[in-house]
Parts: sequence; C-alpha cells; structure tokens
Amino acid sequence: MNAPLLVTKRMVEHPTDSHTLERYKATGGYAAAKRAVSMTRDELVEAVKSSGLLGRGGAAFSAGLKWSFLAPARPAYLVVNGDESEPGTFKDRQLLERDPHQLIEGVIITAIANEVHHAFIYIRGEYPKPARRVQQAVEEAYRQGYLGQGIFNTDFDLEVIVHLGAGAYICGEETALINSLEGLRGEPRLKPPYFPAAVGLYNKPTIVNNVETLSNLPHILNDGVDAFKALGHEADTGTFLFSVSGHVEKPGNYELPHGLTWRELIFDVAGGIPNGRKLKTWIPGGASAPWFVPPDHLDLPITKDDTAKAGSMLGSGAVVVMNDSTCVVRAAERVVRFFAHESCGQCTPCREGTSWLELILRRIESGQGREVDPDLLLDVSDNISVGLAWPPKMTTICPLGPSAVSPIISIIKYFKDEVMAHIHDGRCPLIA
Amino acid sequence: MSKWPEATEERARAIIAQYPNRRSAVMPLLYLAMSEEGYLTEAGMARVAELVGITPAQVLSVASFYTMYKLEPVGRYLISCCTSISCMLLGSDDVLHALEEEVGVASGEVDSEGLIGLEHAECIGACGGAPAMQVNYELIEGINPEKARQLVEWLRKARPEVVNTDEMQSLFGGRPSFDWAITEDVGAVGPYPAYEPFGTVRSSTE
Amino acid sequence: MTLKITSRTLSRSGINSQVGTETVKVTGDGHEFAAPKGEMLITAAQDNGTYIPRFCWHPRMKPVGMCRMCLVEIETPRGKALITACTNAVADGMAVDTKSDVVKKAQEGVLEFLLINHPLDCPVCDRGGECPLQDHTLAYGPGESRFVEEKRHFEKPIPISKLVFLDRERCILCARCTRFSDEVSGDPLIEFLDRGNYTQVNTFPEEPFSSYFAGNTVQICPVGALTAKPYRFRARPWDLTAIDSTCPHCTAGDHITVQSSQNEILRFLGAESEAVNWGWLSDKCRFGFEYINSPDRVTTPLVRGQDGSMQEASWAEALDLVAARLGEIKQAAKQIAVLGGARGTNEDAYALSKFARVALGTNHVDCQMDDGLDPQFLAATADRALIADLDNAKTILIWGPDLKEEHPTLYLRARHSAQERGARLVIVHPRATGLDDWAAHKVSYRPGSGAEVLTRFRSEGDDLAAAVSDTPLVALVGRTGYGEDGRLAEAVAAFVRSKGGKVLPLARRSNVYGALDMGLAPNLAPGRISPDLFSAWGSWPAGRGKDAGGILDGLSSGDILGLVLVGADPIRDVPNGVLARKALESAKFVVALDQFLTDSSRLAHVVLPVEGFAEKDGTVTNVEGRVQKVNRVTPGPGQSRADWSILDDLAERMGSSIGLASAVAIAKEIEATAPAYAGVTWDLLGSMTEGVVVPLHGDTQPLVFVPADAPGKSPSGDLVLHYARTMFDDGVLLRHSPSLADLAPGAAVFLNPDDLRRLGLTAGGEAVVQTSQGSAQLMVKEDDSLAHGVAYVPFNQPGTPSLGNDPVVTITPLQT
Ligand SMILES: Cc1cc2nc3c(=O)[nH]c(=O)nc-3n(C[C@H](O)[C@H](O)[C@H](O)COP(=O)(O)O)c2cc1C
Ligand code: SF4
Ligand code: FES
Repeated sequence: MNAPLLVTKRMVEHPTDSHTLERYKATGGYAAAKRAVSMTRDELVEAVKSSGLLGRGGAAFSAGLKWSFLAPARPAYLVVNGDESEPGTFKDRQLLERDPHQLIEGVIITAIANEVHHAFIYIRGEYPKPARRVQQAVEEAYRQGYLGQGIFNTDFDLEVIVHLGAGAYICGEETALINSLEGLRGEPRLKPPYFPAAVGLYNKPTIVNNVETLSNLPHILNDGVDAFKALGHEADTGTFLFSVSGHVEKPGNYELPHGLTWRELIFDVAGGIPNGRKLKTWIPGGASAPWFVPPDHLDLPITKDDTAKAGSMLGSGAVVVMNDSTCVVRAAERVVRFFAHESCGQCTPCREGTSWLELILRRIESGQGREVDPDLLLDVSDNISVGLAWPPKMTTICPLGPSAVSPIISIIKYFKDEVMAHIHDGRCPLIA
Repeated sequence: MSKWPEATEERARAIIAQYPNRRSAVMPLLYLAMSEEGYLTEAGMARVAELVGITPAQVLSVASFYTMYKLEPVGRYLISCCTSISCMLLGSDDVLHALEEEVGVASGEVDSEGLIGLEHAECIGACGGAPAMQVNYELIEGINPEKARQLVEWLRKARPEVVNTDEMQSLFGGRPSFDWAITEDVGAVGPYPAYEPFGTVRSSTE
Repeated sequence: MTLKITSRTLSRSGINSQVGTETVKVTGDGHEFAAPKGEMLITAAQDNGTYIPRFCWHPRMKPVGMCRMCLVEIETPRGKALITACTNAVADGMAVDTKSDVVKKAQEGVLEFLLINHPLDCPVCDRGGECPLQDHTLAYGPGESRFVEEKRHFEKPIPISKLVFLDRERCILCARCTRFSDEVSGDPLIEFLDRGNYTQVNTFPEEPFSSYFAGNTVQICPVGALTAKPYRFRARPWDLTAIDSTCPHCTAGDHITVQSSQNEILRFLGAESEAVNWGWLSDKCRFGFEYINSPDRVTTPLVRGQDGSMQEASWAEALDLVAARLGEIKQAAKQIAVLGGARGTNEDAYALSKFARVALGTNHVDCQMDDGLDPQFLAATADRALIADLDNAKTILIWGPDLKEEHPTLYLRARHSAQERGARLVIVHPRATGLDDWAAHKVSYRPGSGAEVLTRFRSEGDDLAAAVSDTPLVALVGRTGYGEDGRLAEAVAAFVRSKGGKVLPLARRSNVYGALDMGLAPNLAPGRISPDLFSAWGSWPAGRGKDAGGILDGLSSGDILGLVLVGADPIRDVPNGVLARKALESAKFVVALDQFLTDSSRLAHVVLPVEGFAEKDGTVTNVEGRVQKVNRVTPGPGQSRADWSILDDLAERMGSSIGLASAVAIAKEIEATAPAYAGVTWDLLGSMTEGVVVPLHGDTQPLVFVPADAPGKSPSGDLVLHYARTMFDDGVLLRHSPSLADLAPGAAVFLNPDDLRRLGLTAGGEAVVQTSQGSAQLMVKEDDSLAHGVAYVPFNQPGTPSLGNDPVVTITPLQT
C-alpha cells in the first residue's frame, strides 16, 4: 500500500528526529497555526466541518459539527484526549511520541477556532515517554511564542497543560476525563447534557478531541479541505490510523484511507497470519466492538457505514487478529475481564454484570461450565445491553458496560460449538 | 500535617498554580506524594488534602480509583506485565508465569526484599509489540519468558538507579509496535512515571 | 403516622431549580398528564399516581442515576430508549412507559445484579422489614438468583464513628450517604473508595465519620449497610409504633417521628417538613432520646431530710411541704422567683407563668438562663423571618452563634442556600464557624467590639455595607458567645430591618420562644403583650421583675428567698455557674420540677418528678413562631406528673387556684387569652403537618419593641473571652444519653498562635484562665481562626468550672 500519508508522514520520512522542533519547522510546521491566527472562528469551523473530519477517538463524530455546538459562555476549555487505553489501540502513543508538535499545532488551531485560552492534554499515566516528549514540545512551543501570552505576536493567549492520568481506561470517556481533570474520580457524568460542548470542564463549555483528530488539523489547513476529502473514501474523509495486533505477520500502526477490504488489511498490509495458521476471527474496532469472522466479513469494505451495517464498528481503529489456535472462551474472558476491571462502578448493571460475566467465562474456560451458562451469559448481557442490539441500547450511564457484552455475543454467535465443547468436555477442545 | 521537603513543596505550588482550580492538582500531587515515599502513605495523602483544601477521605477516594496510585509498597522496581487480549494472544500468560517464578512472588505481590514488585496489567498500549511489559512504567516490547527472566536477574544484579526504556528494550526487547527512533538517556527512579514536572526524571548515563 | 413525602412540596424548595410554573403534557403508560416543565420524570410520575422504583434517588439531593432501578422507556426519533427517570426531566409530548416488558426486564435485571453480592442476612439485619431492597425485590425482582459464584466479601460491620457502623457487604452503592455528607452536611468524611466491583464506602484510616449529622445517613441508607449504635439490634420494624412529634432539642422545632415498642422509646427519625427541617436531624437531636429511658430518672417526689439527704416522699407530703414553705415566704412578704420552663410545652409554660403571677405573686420569672436576648425583642421581633426565607434570600447575614453547633438544621438550610442557590453568606463571629467555607464575607472580631463592626455595615462605601446590599436579606442574629452583650443583636436586627431585611432572632433551649410567648419573662404576659394589657388572670403582680441574672444575685444577697426551678440546671447552664451555685446554696427554699437530679436540683429542698418529652401532649413554638404539636408516646416513669398538674395542685394548696384541668384545657385557655395565639387550636394543629406560625392573622406583632443601641464600649483588657457552646457538652440530657455522653470535645482554651507565643504558652500545655467570675485550669490549643486578643473556651465541657459572662480574661501558663 503506498497511499499518501498525513499524520505519520514526518515520522516515516524522518525516523530519527520527527519529534523535534527543528524537523517540525523544517517540514512546514506551524505554518497552519500562523495561518489560523489570521482566520475568523467561523472560517476555521467551516473549514473543519466541510473537511468531513470525523473524530478518531472512537465515536466518529464530526469534529467541525462538535465545535459549532460549543456554547457561547466563556471561559471555554479544550481537552485533548490522549488516554488511549482500549486493548488493541496504540496509535495515539505513536503520534504523541513521534510528532508532538503536530498535535500542539492542532491544539493551537482548535483553540483559535473555538476562542479557547486553556487547553489540557490528558495523557494516560502509563505513557511517560510520550508525556515527556509532549511536555518538552510544549515547553519549546512556549519558548517560540507559539504558546503562552500573545501567541504568534497576536493578542491571543493560550496556556497548555499536560496532565497525566493514573491508570483508568474509563477516563478515556470524555466526561470521566473531565471529572478526572477536576481532581475527582474518573466517573462518567450523567447525560444529558450529551456534550461537554454545552457543560464540561469546571461546568464550562469544553471541546474534547482525540489526539489523532487534532493531529489532522494542520494538514487540512495546509493542503486544503478538498485535498483532505480526496484522500478519503466517501463519507470517511482523510486517512485513518489502524492499529493492527495479534496473530499477524506485521503488527503495527498503518495510516490508510478507508475503503480497503478486511482481507487487504489483514493479509496484504499486515502480512497475513504467521506460522501457517488460519484466520479464525478478528476484532474490527477495539475491544468494545463485536467480532468479525471469515469468510462472511473478509471482503467487506472498511468504512464506517459498512462496518456498522455488519453489526460492529471501527471505533478507534484497533484490529485484533486471532488465528485458529485461539481459544475463544479465553479470548472473550480476557476482553470481558478488561471491562470488569475498568468499570468505574457507578452503574449497577456494569459494576455487577461485567464481573459476573467474567466469572462465568472463567468457569467455563476452566471446565466448570454448565449447560445453562451460554443462555445465562446472554441473558446477563441482555440486562446490561438491552436486546443485545448494536449500537447498544444501554441500561447504563456510559457505553463501557454494554461494550463488555460484545465478545460474549460474538463467541456465542460464531463459536457456540466451541463454547459447548468446553462445557461438555470439561476442558478446552483446542488443547490436545 | 507535616510538609514535604522544600523542593517538593515548591513543585507542588507550581503544579497548583497551573490549574484554574486547586482540586485539579490532586492527581499530579498524588504522584509527588508517591515520589517522596515510594508509595502513597496516609501522611502523603493528608498533605495532598491540605494543599488542595479537601478532606483526606476525598483524596483517598480519588487515589484508590486509579491503579497507578499504590497504597502499599510495591518495591523499587514495579514490573507490570500486560495480559490483555493482544499480549495474551502472543503468549503473555507464559511471560507472567516466568516472572512469577523468577521474582518468586505471585502477581500483585512484592519480593521479600522489597526490591521487585510484580503485577499483571491491563493493556499498556503496546499491542503491536506484544507481549509487552513495563518496569516503573518504562516499556519493553516484544518480550518472551526467557528475556523476562533475564530482565529480573539484571534488575537484581545491576540494580540500576534509573530504569531506562531504551536500554531495557535493547537488552531484553524484541519487535516494537513502531520504530522508536532516537534513544533517550533518561528514565524512572521509582514505581511512578518518570516525568519532569514531578521531579521523577533522572539521566541514566550520569 | 409518618408523613408521605410529596414531591410537589419539594420542587418548591429549590432542589430542582429548573422547575418553573410552565407545564408540559406527558403521556405516561397511555395516560396524558401535565407536569411542571423541568421536573424529573420520577417525581412527575409519582405525583400522577405512578411509583417508579428507585434506590439512589433522594428528594433532597441531586440525582446521580447510579442504581439504574428507575429505568423507563421513552419514545425517541430513533425508536424506544431506556432512560433513568431520576435524571431526565419531563418534556412536552414525551411518551413514557414505566411498565413495558423491556422496563420490567431491566428492573428484574438491576435487582438481580444488586442481590448477587448482597448477603442474605435479612433476619438479623436492622433494616429487615423496612428495607427498600427487600420490598423492591418482592415487587419487581426476579424469582431467584442465578448467581452461583462466590460473593464479594468485606470485613463485617466496622465502626466508622462513635455512633455509626458500616457493613460494606450490604451496601448497594447508592451514594446516598456520601452525597449527604458532601452535598448536604458539608463534611465529606465517607467516600467511595476503590473502583468497579471493588467499590466500597469507607472513611480515611483513623479519621472517623465524626459528622454532627451522620445519623441522617443511617436513616437514608436504603439497606442495612449503615446502622446506628443506639438502635442496632434493638427492635424489629414491625413491632414499632410511630408517632409524629417535634424535636425537643433545638429551637428549629424539627419534625420527627418517635418510634417505640412496649412503651420504650427506641428511635427518633427525621420527618419531612418543607417548612422546617426537610427530614434532616443533627445527631444530638436524633440520638438524644436515650435519657428518656434512663434508670436515673427521678420517679418519686424527694424531700431533703434533717440530715440533708434526699428521702422519697408521697406526692401529698411533698406538695404540702412545698406549698407551706412557699406560702411562708409569701406571707412574710418576701420574694420568690421562678427559673426555667423553656424545655417543656407551651401548656406547661402557661401553667408556670400563671402559677408565678397568681399563686406566688411574683414577676421574678425567667425562662432564659442569663445567656439570651431581651425577651420582648425575642417575642416581638418585627419582620421576623421564616426558616424558608433562607431559600429565597440573596444575602444571609449570620451574626450570632455558630449555627452548626447550636442550630444544626438552620445550618443545613443556610448551607444549602449558599451552595446550591448561590446566596451570599456574610458571617460575623469571633472564630471559624461551620459555614465559613461558603461565606462570601467572614468577619472575625473581638467579642465586645461588635458596635464597630456594625458601624462598618452602616458606612456607605465599606465592603461590608456592600456585602449586604442585595435583597432579599435574611439575618440570623443572636449572641455569638457569653462575652457578647445581648443588645448588640438588637442593634443588628434594627440595622437589617432598615435595609428591608428579615430577622430570625436566635435564643437557646428548645421551647424558649413558646415559654416567652406564655409570659415566662419579667416583662411579658401570655400572647406577646406587655403585662399592662393582660387582664385574664385578674391582678398582675406589682413591681419590675428580675431576669435570671437578677434572680441569682437576689438569691445570693438574700433579697429573694424562694426559688421554683423548672427543668433548669443553672449551675451548669448559666454562664456564671459560681454565682448560680451560691444562689442555690443561699436560698431559703428551693423546689425543683425535674426529670433528673442535676447539679442544681441536688441542692433543692424538694424535687418533684415530671413527665418529659414524649410523655405528654402539648404544643411548642419554634424560632419562627411556628406552633407545632408534641405527642405522648409513653407514660412517664414512676409517679412523675405533668408540670401543669403539679403547679395546679400547688396553687390549690396555697389557696390561689389557677384552675387548670388538662393540657387540652390549657391550650383552650391560651387560645382565648394569649392574643398572638388566637385561633391556634389543637384541632387545627392536628391537621397541619407543619404547624402554624403565630400570630395567625395579620402581620402585626401585638408588642412593639424598640431595640437598644449597640453597646458602645469594647471591653478593656488585653484578652477577651469568647465563651460559647458546642453541640455536645455536659448538659444533663446528654449526660444521660450514653451514646452521646462522650462526644463533647472537651475542655480547652484556644488562642491565636501569636497570642500563644506572646503569653508564653505552648499548645498542648496547661494554663490558668481567670475572669472576674471564675477560673479554670485548661489545656491550651492553637486556633488561627481567632482574632488577636481573643481566647475561646467551649462552654460546659465535662469537668470544667464556669467562667462567667465577664469577657475580660487573663491567661497565664500553669507554673509547675
Ligand atoms: C469507555 C470509553 C472509552 C473511551 N476511550 C477513549 C480514549 O481512550 N481516547 C479517545 O480519544 N476517546 C475515547 N473515547 C471517546 C471519547 O469519549 C470521545 O468521544 C472522544 O475523545 C472525542 O474525540 P474525537 O471526537 O476527536 O474522537 C472513549 C469513550 C468511551 C465510552
Ligand atoms: S457503564 Fe460502567 S464505566 Fe460506564 S458509567 Fe456505568 S459503571 Fe461506569
Ligand atoms: S433512582 Fe434513578 S438511577 Fe437510582
């Protein structure tokens, strides 16, 4: 695949110093920010809206539209979501570590577009190296006059604070993240209000965007809206970072346009399944997403809509590939365990339900399963995510709880025999 | 409540001053508290409470929500072995077993010397370099059971003042998620992130 | 008997500030109804007859939507959706289904989830029988649990304070207790700890849940996770009889439910009253009932024998003796005084007032203990505020006692107003108060220099003048401590009135306002009028009566020979305890009507056992002038009798009948003779859950009171004493309530760190504290909220001698 690159271009072309200010400036860095300071809020919002840029944090919501919702009250805040913690996802880490100035430039553009003078970059605590790189870059940007008082010799002030998380996936959920920034437990807030753009940090209007989303902004301003759209595939404009992991020959982050098929991604881009094994199943969009299986889904185009129609999502772009030696009960248990571990604990169905599911799966995996367990798994799931619909109909405040049922529905839908074999044989049928 | 050494207090003041609201400083201050004593003591939390103007119970409520704030000693080197889905697929459970054997404790415990603590972690964002682990949150990707044992042995023998991700990756790592580019010479000095504003970054070559 | 909480009254209180007057149309389960715009579905449905099950939602706190029990289905453009009724407001055209199959399944699911880790120890659980989890499980739950794994375990009940136990296995994590302590009482000492399935409620290690309001969390806990020491394992709910009443402890007149079993009082619960306490109680009020069952109650008349010891006597003997001794003094044209009466009912107070004037012929009558304000001011405060006025106030001036210590439910109300509505609190007090964290302005001043502070409020351009310029303005005024002259409060009230504000005058002892309204003050007749306008009792004794201070002086000097003490313990209760002791020791004859032998009644010649709270019917009047019922729950112990009947009997024996036949009859007489109480009948009160505020008709006070000027001079001397009460002290009722007996903070003298150094004192050391009226040896503590030159000593702590109300004090290190 030799598609044009945007957000990873610099690090591919300049592998040793893409994170430095010198390299950033030498490759056209901060030109977009300089342009942005002389643009009006409306022009900027309009440009981003018409670029079709969708959020890369998982929900794929139009960035420009979100900005246009920002309530008029001031101060308003910008929060960059760098909490990236969903199993399978490691793309923001690369952007933070390898091209921090690109993000900062995105922050500047967003701040100007939204008349925001305080931005927070929230980076998960387990990412100290990315945090160090971003912190250094922020300090450099301050020294250059790109941040601080009167940026780029205008009268626009912009303070940027890098804030470290401390080990809580739920803080990726934007309202939990805001609570965390306020020094509270990272518990998601009630909806409504549906968007922090209405009421967010310190109960003020707040924009929350993902690292990758903002990293695209300099390119949209530099190359133009049309070029950005042209790169993409219909409604999915621009490029998309896929984090491919698991049983593939070449795991890694791949910046690609939408529209390839899963076959192309797994077999061509990521080199296929190693050691002569076969593809068994894959998670198309992060641990929350219902799984796909060959051959049904292999030739589906990778677009937001096609994936949704097939009952799953692209989420934050994490593709986890499993070969035919994988015990699906164990794989499902691992994903469910993650959600149980990361549940904030507010909602009864999520707090109690995810742990219960984990215990049942573990029991089945260890050969203690009962005939009724598959139905029980589904019914408990139903009580967390009503009707087991996709996208979920939630009994909870946030989608974390309902996310935990995706693997369960998937294994019972596609691998019921294997699950039953665990129950009947009292052990995993894949272990000889 | 007793104060921290002046240098730490100074950092605390600087951190508090950054935020529009005092309470927002709780998380960074908890890291400061950890860096003072190696883990979060009651005295440390009480100091945080005092500095941001909330009750110690409120501080504990926040601290206990996040897995990286350790309410008990976790050793000088905290090994976090990822066992989430991508790492599991590539053998992390064997890595964890090897670590348990080599450190001589179960996951979630500290060795008798208080030198090495071991925990299994949920996804640490290194799935492309699975299986992966961290020592004091400094990453090693492409690990395997044998390399993991060697790493423990090395920590025991060399007892590095500073653990540096690039050094460990070159000694014990395998294929990474992506090209790391240049190496850094700084690293972590305890079981909390090495991050300049917390005063927890040290050069490993000095 | 317990009141039903109706959300209509609640939405008026500002809990749900978005609720307006506009209404919207909603379809609920197929029926259309109208609801105020902005009202939450859960209450809107309830008002229209549909109960939606819930655990975490509480009408007096912000919703958290955590338990997910209240899920309902609504129509959306994208099909049906499940939402929580407690966090979603009604909207015009909304179609809600509360009973659909999806809703029922969700409810069953939530209950099953809640029960998987909940122990099945209902038979030994205090909540068994009054447990929403039990009730909801029966009504909405699944038949049985499908959970076969191991339940979550925690250490069984752990004490989290001296009063409260926590069983985390029973906890369903509804966050009611944590929200209460954070949002309502402002002492967030219990919190959620850990995360996800390990989430638990707990305190910080070694930092107990020592909130003055902790008991409320026990009451609102929907399961038996929080239990209170005084009630644990004492009763099963189905054995309890519940009777509504009015709390006997503080002057707010909190609405309570008294629960008893087989004539033993077992529990007080806060009862919902929009006007007064919103269902909340302080721990003193909630747990301060144990004394009622105390074995130390006086149960027979006691007469001092020749040898000085107290002997049991028959009523006839005792009453004859009292009548004879008081009669002798009266015959000799010597003086008799009456002290007390502020803790009983209005009916008892009326009887005492009539007894004093008619049978004893004296005006030396006082129900305050030399620690209050001018009785005419208290009875006739013009532009008197209601407690509920705090809800609408833009500015609240608090210049009086620390509300958290002395008027706990007013503290909660003022706090709510500041915190949730943004009312501006302006606090003037000599040291930190419980509300300081919400104060927009706080003045820490030297007791005695209040006039200077008041001048600032009156000076245009001063920031204090600006601080109180926004109306509606409500002021709570009273004496900040005993070193403060009572006339200052009058001057503050007059200032507030001049700004168009309203005033709540703060005094001490639960029914002090009722007692004053019945004439238990030298210059007041029943019904808030001056004696010259009162003719119902025939002649009124001549001469100016003395107040409590004067009475004690008079007894000490021999001007007054006889004393009738009614539910009063001046030795412990007046600032100058040394004087009180001298007075009692000098008196020729003292009769005490009391429930206990107190430091004072021990010195009496005759002690007559009386019925106390919950042992008699009657009315009481609160700080607003709100008259409410108190009800009999159990008979009094032994031979105890109601005050009025004792007094009637005595009067009879003294040959001056006062003609009182029953509490009901006295109430009728009050209604007929006391102008402010015209129209206030028991029938009327019985039908009103919030009582009535007197005067019933018109807004004029019968009495016009002209306030004094602020006392001009600051006390001389280097140090002044701030001598003030704490919630828990060594009062007689607390002493006999074992659960509360050791909660008093203890004796100490507090000084600003600079003064500490200047006086050569060290924190933790001992000092001798000396006033013109007393001296004490106290531990020294540092308090940087105190202004320079102010020494704070908490009043009536166990084992401390009295220091009096002369604010000039000297403090010297204890020489060892
Ligand atoms: C449980 C949960 C976890 C999430 N984690 C992340 C995350 O780690 N990073 C992220 O950018 N967005 C995450 N999101 C999405 C955010 O809530 C939010 O939609 C996003 O940050 C918005 O940015 P975008 O519009 O630029 O994508 C998460 C959402 C949920 C419900
Ligand atoms: S669904 Fe789970 S993670 Fe989300 S708010 Fe509820 S308890 Fe917390
Ligand atoms: S009552 Fe609505 S979620 Fe608990």
